[in-house]
Amino acid sequence: SSQLSSLPLQILFYVNGIYYIFYFLATLAMIVYKSQVFSYPDDFLAPDLVVLFLMAILEVPRLYLGCKGNLTEEEAPLGLSLGVTVGSVVLCVYLLAWQTYVLWADVLLNAVLLCAYGLESGLKVMAIAAFVS
Amino acid sequence: PADTGGAAQKRASGAPAPVTDVARLCVCDLLVARCDANCCCDPDCSPEEFSLFTSCSVPVVVGDSHLCRQKAAVYSLDVEANPPERIFQLIDQVNPSIFCIHATNYKQALHLRPPEMPTPENFDRLLDEFGSAAFSAEPEGWGVATEAPGPPDANETRSYQYGAPIQTEDAFLRLPSPVVSSWCSDANPAGFLVNQATKCIRSVSVEKCDSIQGLSMLFYINSSILAVPKSSQMVNVTVQSIVVQSLDGTRTLLEGADGLRLPLALDELCLNIVLGVSYHITYTDTGAIIEAAAAFVLGAISKEALSVQQSFQISFTQANTKPVPLSGNPGYVVGLPVRAGFRPQGYPFLAGLLTNRHSQLTILQSTPSQDCLAAQGARAPVRFGYNMISGCKLRITAAMKCQPLAQTLLDVLKGQSFPEYVASFGNSQAQDVLDWVPITHLHISEQRLSNTLQSSCQIPVSLGIEVKWTKYGSLVNPQARIVNVTATLSSTTLKQLPSGRERIIPVTSSVVFTDISAPAEPGYKAWPTINIKLPFDFFYPFV
Repeated sequence: SSQLSSLPLQILFYVNGIYYIFYFLATLAMIVYKSQVFSYPDDFLAPDLVVLFLMAILEVPRLYLGCKGNLTEEEAPLGLSLGVTVGSVVLCVYLLAWQTYVLWADVLLNAVLLCAYGLESGLKVMAIAAFVS
Repeated sequence: PADTGGAAQKRASGAPAPVTDVARLCVCDLLVARCDANCCCDPDCSPEEFSLFTSCSVPVVVGDSHLCRQKAAVYSLDVEANPPERIFQLIDQVNPSIFCIHATNYKQALHLRPPEMPTPENFDRLLDEFGSAAFSAEPEGWGVATEAPGPPDANETRSYQYGAPIQTEDAFLRLPSPVVSSWCSDANPAGFLVNQATKCIRSVSVEKCDSIQGLSMLFYINSSILAVPKSSQMVNVTVQSIVVQSLDGTRTLLEGADGLRLPLALDELCLNIVLGVSYHITYTDTGAIIEAAAAFVLGAISKEALSVQQSFQISFTQANTKPVPLSGNPGYVVGLPVRAGFRPQGYPFLAGLLTNRHSQLTILQSTPSQDCLAAQGARAPVRFGYNMISGCKLRITAAMKCQPLAQTLLDVLKGQSFPEYVASFGNSQAQDVLDWVPITHLHISEQRLSNTLQSSCQIPVSLGIEVKWTKYGSLVNPQARIVNVTATLSSTTLKQLPSGRERIIPVTSSVVFTDISAPAEPGYKAWPTINIKLPFDFFYPFV
């Protein structure tokens, strides 16, 4: 009756979910602020908003699949969640480095999120290794 | 960091490259190659000049303050040192706010983009993008027509619009007018249906009088007018009449003159130079010109004349109509004649009135001789708003009979055809009888109480016309409307004179305009009412 599910991973999923809600609202508010204070033409504003919403859309299945995989000790959903995490990382890097205006607050939020993704990925790999063996 | 690609383009087209290095930027450096006072960042200043400064007008040069980290050039004066010297420091300025810009991928965010320099290649694109109505191409059909005429469109009916320049064979119908100064400019076009009258001065010289274009009749009737814009149908300008003005100003109408009279230099005079042109254009109701006539005033100039004043006029008449000049639209305009007319006898009640030029409301006009009997016929039109008083003196001798004298005086005061009705609005039509106000006649006769039984001779000595008018219509644009016209004839008794004696009595006539407008009451719209009603089948199943 050894428990293969990873407790730290589950805690991390929970914290990630709450943090992501805050991150999404903060980034959206900052984009609105930037569009008012700086010159933000529409063809630069559109990609930034698209990336943010895409990341939000990806986050939900990512966390759901991760939780499900971890709790049911199946490697397939966990593997899928890992794949989606790669996409989220790319989008996060875009918002960190390739946004039209990268504020210091943007750098902080995205860096924290990247750290969380990195840690999660590591724990997922360990959990998959544990489930497979 | 300067944009190298952009810099190369700028160098190619001659505009200076944008400077973004704060160490080299100096806002107060206005004088080239000379030191500006109190400008610490001026590269043209030497240390001796720096020592003379009292303060730095520009203490720090920095880029966008939103950036998190940036270089700043700080200039200050060290007044403690002897001599005072300028201190220049290049420091890193940090913005502590959490919302400072860490990086940006949008180049134009931080510096103004240098504008694209127009070249022959990109000019049309730039004009489309940035040129608006102010820089649009010239209106069609303007100037010398070098563009090929478009394919004739049979269905398209072209016509002149109000104010459109009247086109002729080569350019447009010219009405020389003073532009900026009083000198004639020949480039003023005549606008369709725009009645204009201009006066301007043209410089002349007797030697070159036949070479100056604006002095010759040919210049004004040379090119034919296009009947409609961009058509091939031409209307020739005919010479309606020629009036010749002599050097002292007397004008004579030349009988049977249709031909062209070109300027002729004769000894010390130059004859047949144009002093005035009056164009009369007849148009149809579809906006096409069918006739054009020009009436000329030709004159002569002497050797000493350096300039001559020319006057030009253009008027438009619709074909098959007899124009009646309006005195206002609709209210009377101050200064325009009061329109009047007669109702023809024997016609039914709803018939119109006769108005012609001779039935204006007129008043006796004072003449220099001041003799009533000699000045018969001189009358001045009554102009709206202008109170007038005029008069003459009548010399009565013993031999004059009463009745003919009274009749003569009545003619002098009232004129040959004193109208019966006056138009209440400036644009009243003759067929709207209700728009016309009848003239009320009052007769005041001065009678001595003691001689009431004697039938004495009454002669009219004064006619006073009182025109009562009111403001009609909206508060912001009131129109003048004549409400009442009263003609008061005052008579006096003429005593029989002993033979050989004469008497001079003054005869006066006056016109007074009185404003009887009621004080204005602003009318406000009623508050909107809320009209809530449920649909009739609102309670459907239950009702």
